Amino acid sequence: MRLGVLVSDFRNVDDTLSRLKADKLGLILVGNGVYLAAVKESGKPSQVLGMSPDIYALTEDLQTRGFSDADVDKRVKTITYDGLVDLIFNDYEKVIWI
Amino acid sequence: MGKLTIGCFSSLVGSLSLDFAVKLANTAIKKGHTVDFWVSGNATMLSKKGQRAFKDYSALMKIVQEMTATGKFQITACEACAEARGYHKEDTLEGFKRHSMDWYLASSFSADRVLHIGGD
Amino acid sequence: MATKKLAFIVRSMPYKTEASRLALTHAIASQTVEIYLEDGDMVEPVVAFMGDGVLNCLKNQNAMGMYGVTSIEQHLKNSLLLDLKVLICKEDVERFGLSESSLIMDAEDIGGETKATIVPFSEIQQEMETSNHLLFF
Repeated sequence: MRLGVLVSDFRNVDDTLSRLKADKLGLILVGNGVYLAAVKESGKPSQVLGMSPDIYALTEDLQTRGFSDADVDKRVKTITYDGLVDLIFNDYEKVIWI
Repeated sequence: MGKLTIGCFSSLVGSLSLDFAVKLANTAIKKGHTVDFWVSGNATMLSKKGQRAFKDYSALMKIVQEMTATGKFQITACEACAEARGYHKEDTLEGFKRHSMDWYLASSFSADRVLHIGGD
Repeated sequence: MATKKLAFIVRSMPYKTEASRLALTHAIASQTVEIYLEDGDMVEPVVAFMGDGVLNCLKNQNAMGMYGVTSIEQHLKNSLLLDLKVLICKEDVERFGLSESSLIMDAEDIGGETKATIVPFSEIQQEMETSNHLLFF
């Protein structure tokens, strides 16, 4: 399955994400999930960023929280709501929110 | 073009998850998709008449009304969830339907994509 | 005539939020969805508890006695009474040191015949893969 996971939290997501298997797994960071893309704890980026080659963060939610594209880990692509709609319809057959 | 069904349980005030869901719905409609929107649990607050917009609180009535006017959007509140909160039929904003939870499942049946935002 | 399968995946703990309660009440609503569908069309629900969500399945809940609200236990039993497929993640049951005897595995006391099953997460994953849509609670 091609599974898009909208990750809306900074905490308590690793356990679920580490179990999910998909032919194509996309992580789409939204809400407080965008902190995963832009914040380092003890100098280390989140291990969530290593869980898929396809990681996106919602620009509107980054900017809401004071981040620009320059703050975002290079493994993460930034997208707008417009891009998110395209991802949902074109790239993934199932989408979930955690 | 496809059909997106969104279910949301998050409160209008106290969380931005419902704002996210509404913005996503609006973008999908502008791109030509149709959207069914199910509000359940605390999200039924969105269906309540008489909301007043303050800058410290989310205010989504206007955008919901604009989406409804496109004809590509329908929004339904969980009747039991609304009644439990004291939101009665006469308190419901124009454009909202009220049904039991099977409406959401039926909408999911015919949807190309379902995004369920639960848990807040 | 078509059947669409919906997976209700519960990872939230009970009671602090409505999430797990609404997962079960929405899943149960599959029993009346036909009124909106064409003849022969059906929604097939599967309910799976994973992560901290397995704590919803503990026996002897008394939310009615303590707070006057229906317990998750009762909703779970109603789900089994209506023959919904209910799965509980084995790895999480073991992680919390729970035994099958401590979990709600059947609804025999209200006349149900269907039983919940404790399964490895891989089986829950399979259910997700064969479902048309996934709803995480």
